Amino acid sequence: MMMQVAMALKPPSFRILRKNPQRFRTSPTRIRYASLSVWASTESLADPPPSLFLGYSTRTDFPILHQEVNGSKLIYLDNAATSQKPSAVLKAIQYYYESYNSNVHRGIHYLSARATEEYELARKKVASFINASDSREIIFTRNATEAINLFALSWGLQNLKQGDEVILTVAEHHSVIAPMLDTAKKTGAVLKYVSLNEDGVPDVNMFKQLMSTKTKLVIVHHVSNMLGSALPIEDVVVWAHDVGAIVLVDACQSVPHMVVDVQKINADFLVASSHKMCGPTGIGFLYGKYHHLSAMPPVLGGGEMVADVFLDHYTYADPPSRFEAGTPAIGEAIGLGAAIDYLSGIGMQRIHDYEVELAKYLYESLGTVPGIRIYGPAPSENVYRAALCSFNVENIHPTDIATFLDQQHGVAIRSGHHCAQPLHRVLDVNASARASLYFYNTREEIDNFIHALNDTVSFFNSFK
Amino acid sequence: MNSSSTITTSTHFHSSSSCTKILRKRYDNYETRHSALKFNAENEKNKFLILSLKSIKNYGFSPKSPSKLHARNPSLPAEVEFERPLETDGLVVADKLQLLVLEFKSLDEPLDRVKRLLHYAAILPPYDESARVAENRVVGCATQVWLEVEMDDLGRMRFRADSDSEISKGFCSCLIWMLDGAKPEEVSEMRAEDLEHVNVGLYVKANSRVNTWQNVLISMQKRTKALVMERGGKNPPLLEPLPSLIVNHGSSAEAQGCLFPTRLVLPELQTFDERQSLMSK
Repeated sequence: MMMQVAMALKPPSFRILRKNPQRFRTSPTRIRYASLSVWASTESLADPPPSLFLGYSTRTDFPILHQEVNGSKLIYLDNAATSQKPSAVLKAIQYYYESYNSNVHRGIHYLSARATEEYELARKKVASFINASDSREIIFTRNATEAINLFALSWGLQNLKQGDEVILTVAEHHSVIAPMLDTAKKTGAVLKYVSLNEDGVPDVNMFKQLMSTKTKLVIVHHVSNMLGSALPIEDVVVWAHDVGAIVLVDACQSVPHMVVDVQKINADFLVASSHKMCGPTGIGFLYGKYHHLSAMPPVLGGGEMVADVFLDHYTYADPPSRFEAGTPAIGEAIGLGAAIDYLSGIGMQRIHDYEVELAKYLYESLGTVPGIRIYGPAPSENVYRAALCSFNVENIHPTDIATFLDQQHGVAIRSGHHCAQPLHRVLDVNASARASLYFYNTREEIDNFIHALNDTVSFFNSFK
Repeated sequence: MNSSSTITTSTHFHSSSSCTKILRKRYDNYETRHSALKFNAENEKNKFLILSLKSIKNYGFSPKSPSKLHARNPSLPAEVEFERPLETDGLVVADKLQLLVLEFKSLDEPLDRVKRLLHYAAILPPYDESARVAENRVVGCATQVWLEVEMDDLGRMRFRADSDSEISKGFCSCLIWMLDGAKPEEVSEMRAEDLEHVNVGLYVKANSRVNTWQNVLISMQKRTKALVMERGGKNPPLLEPLPSLIVNHGSSAEAQGCLFPTRLVLPELQTFDERQSLMSK
């Protein structure tokens, strides 16, 4: 049935409708009704969920998706690693380099002023996107990893002391664990890990058990890149603040997929990366409450981060400049701004709703594959699951599965430990395969992926 | 399943090449029959060379050159190999490389290349569980590969490897077929780029942290160099300083990146084409 629905949603007229993304942004309801009329004319079905169309209506914005890989139509299911970029982002970057490429905060000439304006506008767009109260709370970094390292080297070394405790979960990304191990080693702080409960997700109750007056920092993911589970982050923040600890949220897997409101979450710090949310690589950001940022020392010295420089000393500038030494990634920041425009045009709630449906469909479809083990929670009305599934198939290495899927079916998935080795050890596996979706994926692609996976499993089992 | 050595040649050998003449002469001495393996029948169209290495398991070094590793050289049947040292068997590493590349080049379909690799994986002798230890790990981000390297009394390199991935195991099997029993300098001369045409999985050209070909080959070369230095009375270099970097903080954490060290400083390397050209002179 779903296959039929998917097929019915593929008339060329959709491509025409989405030819102008700007029009879509300014008038989403128009598209929605247009889509429905196509539905009605082809299937004569009443009132299908409008979000079902999102994958088809946005695909045309992503030129890269329309290609063959190894002789098969590309099915890109590695979005948790990086997302694809819509034409609007590509054009914004090209336009920057063609029209006003210049260094920022440096020259008084026209191009520099324009570049500065656009660069700072991008910062405002990020702030608005996550509802930060002030764009000065957004520090541009190379990526989320650098944002966490910046935090660890600045706030961590300044504030953590011998015997202080830091709470993480075993499901954290290496980009959290490695810098915190370094920080703990330098400061004498102790890392405490929340483990998984019997349902295979981080044990929320353990947060409360681990927290004490010794706790100075809670640094955790919002959505797990391997399990697809989400932490009740607002509760975690309340518990942490109750004991006087601050919280950094690794929001790399949530900011691209849902409405994230830093004021509502009330986290002290939050990081995310551009490339997972339709923006270019080479840029991410650290959000921090301004009173925290203004009390933190810089990590890198250089141009832009200084107030006054003398031969024997210098004073540093206020945030965000304090943390952005040297020429920043101007074109990338502008590209990120364009990505935010694009996502906002669709609507993050709409993207989230669509992905919740896709997540459920992916999970249920994968469950039909013989010998499969899917990690993380089963999605339900009460249990959120991100649109990604890490899995293993009995007696077949996930990398072999990924290789075969790529070579024979043009399906791009991730295999390995997804930069979460400790979590894999807890789950007693060395590696897993992961299919991760974004709003431009469709149910039809999931059907084709499942078909390809079944073929892959049959192939390898035939060699046993 | 027939477990004896099976080498099938076709009429498509390039007779102008002295190398292939030598090889052909050698193979003509072997029993020629179709492999019982299922994939053989699928590639009749352009099959010009199929090496079935099913009998590797039975091969062993001469007792005159004992090695702690269970040595094998799949290019030769056990009874032949047993009688003569490897240096005189005529199949030098460059020959084997050429054969392997020709073999995979002849397979147009990616599926057939995967099948061939899985075949090679299947014939890699069972690996001792006790050797699956951290010291033997070739660090790659996607699969686990274990590698043991020794130098035998005649100064030849002996390799054993295993992986939890069948495809990676196939890569190991091919590398071992080419390099097991080779001289250290032959091991050093092998270049990952030469394996480009095997073209299964990740493109060999990609200098990626998940490139098993490159990971295993570089590991073989580094450990070979260390053993050569050790035998020469020099202190061996620190092995794999980057890929296997372990940062201990009470609880240990493996470094996230599997960075590739700068290529070893090796004797001037010849490209495959240069070697081919030399061989045909």
